Amino acid sequence: MKLRQLVGLFLALAMIATACGSGSDGDSDSTATDTGSSDTADTSADADEPAEPAAPAAGIDLDAIMGADLDNCAAAPSGDAIKVGMVMDFSEAAGFVDIPGSKLVPYVAELANCAGGINGQPVEVRVAEAGTDAALATQELIDWGAHFFVGPPFADATLPMQQTGDGQYAIFAAASTEPTLADADSNTFLVTFDDFGQSEASAEYALSQGLTRAIVFTEGEGVPYSGVNPDAFVAAFTAGGGEIVSTQTYAWFVDTDFSSQVNDIATVADGTEVVFSAAAAFQVTALRAQLEGQGLDGLTYMGTDAMDATGVQFETGGEGMIHTPHTIIAAGGANDMLFQQAIAAGVELDSLGFMPLYVDSMLLGIQGILDCGCTEPSGIAEAVKNISGFEGTSGTITYAGTNGIPDKAVPIAQVQGGENVLLTEIG
Amino acid sequence: MTQLLQNIIDGLGRGSIYALLALGVAVVFGIMHLLNFAHGELITIPGYLTYWAFNHGWNWWTVVPLILVSAVGSSLLIERIAFSRVRGAKDFTMLLTSFGVHFIVSALFLLYVSASVKSIQRPGWAADTVALGSLRIEIFDLLVIGVTIVTLLATTWLLQRTMFGLSLRAAASDFEAARLMGVNSDSVIRGAFALSGFLAGIAGIFWLMRAGSVTPTAGIDPMLKGVLAALIGGLGSLRGAVVGGLVLGLAEVLLRAWLPEGIQNLTTGFVFVLIALLFIFKPGGLLAVPQVERV
Repeated sequence: MKLRQLVGLFLALAMIATACGSGSDGDSDSTATDTGSSDTADTSADADEPAEPAAPAAGIDLDAIMGADLDNCAAAPSGDAIKVGMVMDFSEAAGFVDIPGSKLVPYVAELANCAGGINGQPVEVRVAEAGTDAALATQELIDWGAHFFVGPPFADATLPMQQTGDGQYAIFAAASTEPTLADADSNTFLVTFDDFGQSEASAEYALSQGLTRAIVFTEGEGVPYSGVNPDAFVAAFTAGGGEIVSTQTYAWFVDTDFSSQVNDIATVADGTEVVFSAAAAFQVTALRAQLEGQGLDGLTYMGTDAMDATGVQFETGGEGMIHTPHTIIAAGGANDMLFQQAIAAGVELDSLGFMPLYVDSMLLGIQGILDCGCTEPSGIAEAVKNISGFEGTSGTITYAGTNGIPDKAVPIAQVQGGENVLLTEIG
Repeated sequence: MTQLLQNIIDGLGRGSIYALLALGVAVVFGIMHLLNFAHGELITIPGYLTYWAFNHGWNWWTVVPLILVSAVGSSLLIERIAFSRVRGAKDFTMLLTSFGVHFIVSALFLLYVSASVKSIQRPGWAADTVALGSLRIEIFDLLVIGVTIVTLLATTWLLQRTMFGLSLRAAASDFEAARLMGVNSDSVIRGAFALSGFLAGIAGIFWLMRAGSVTPTAGIDPMLKGVLAALIGGLGSLRGAVVGGLVLGLAEVLLRAWLPEGIQNLTTGFVFVLIALLFIFKPGGLLAVPQVERV
């Protein structure tokens, strides 16, 4: 009896927590966006096949969207809705980007609608939580009439999405740098550079600065992200004439005590090396403190987009560290203005450097619709493959001639005075 | 030789934190036969309070009492809300309850705080070292080892020399008999959770100083280390918990340092292999206590 009461209590609490969490996504009163979770009743969806839009347009007026004033909107768009499906991972693994991303995209859709829509068509966004069944969430959005998808950064959700959509739908893995995820044949696209791109750029930058000795931290050869990035760095660094003086292993996102590694490094380092890893900011700062405690003060620390994701610029030990963020959010810049406006409107944002990738995912899908002048998912996906020179909020994106990994420059940034400062762009 | 000594000191520093965590696990297990998988939440909850406190101008001197108080408070609250409802239930029911508490606490932070990593400012001296011959010893390790020794002595005094300790040991030996002898079961259990929370709080101070961050699932790793250390030492044995913690810390550091390059990333796997071997030869752990079958 007690056990049943307890299980009942837990289930009730879990349901309340889930419901409340979903509620935070679905509190927009805009009629053009529907951001409820997968279990939210559909109040605006039309399960029938979406109708053809009036005519293809040349492009998206990003300035008009970003500059829209929600208190003073243009006439409401009256065409057939462009439907954006977001299958998002709200777990800790991806929630740090997918949760704020799933709030920002509907907000930008609201801005687009306020600016008169896209080519006279309103944009509708629906968010479905992947949970443990990304296929179910995807099917729900297909039934709703989604034209394309914004997906989470990991393959465990993206692959079921591909299968559920029979590979016909364009899927943008918004925050992912996983090279194996991109596959133009299956219509799955990254929105940014991949792990090879960012780590090879880091190696190139290090060599250009005269750094020829490196200490590398890896979780193991070939391990997605935490191993692939160091692999790519090592390959490019040694090919460019650099030397790897020490390779150390660690547990990604877990280890913060590097005593053993530091003891090893102290025996081989002369203080001129670059320390490269795909570690989180709190790990690199812990490592730095321990290395400096051993008297190794002159090392250069380089990392991947994980450093930006975990807020290296806000860490006390992050000063001077070099990394590859997806965007530099300059105070007063267009992205900064958008975020400030969104936050003022009550949109909870986080991981800001990644947020333009979500906005661009939506815009790229819309561009595909405009380019093909159709609403068949396969036609949209085909058009996306040929996008070239798209000016998004995260930079210039080209899919034409790629396998779904956009041809995009990698920003090399350094933490200076608590802010990410762009040093150069590579690629 | 120098590197071995260096590794041993590093291992003892790491193991001391595990020992404090394991002690907290062992205290509650001794009373309730509850292997508390929610023990890590006693670091997660104070961790978020620490993050909040630093954002409001606090420093480590003022945050330390906050961590201790919040760990004890959280432990008592979890006992009141969850474990008091399953007192006397089968061990498996209590185990599942502790899992439930862990998942609910994580989900609440994920949904209502943030999924992002929240940074906590590490104390500037934490990674500073002192030279001892050719050894360079982290001040942090010295402090952890010292505090752990003092905590163990204080805990031993509490358990051996006070009425509360006598009640606790009596209840741990035979709960029903102790109750029939006039021991207030509610007080003993609450006292055990308070002590467990306090020990987790001390461990949490050092864990958070080292980690410099908190996430909704920040409690998983310390919980695993604490439970593993308690299992290695012998569940229910307080001395065993300490020994288990130190052994686990030493095993992690020594294996990491001495495994051949190329398989060093298998350190955790080797640690678990060693633990499995230990349980084959000593199923009750290093300092097994006689099990009393509860009816």
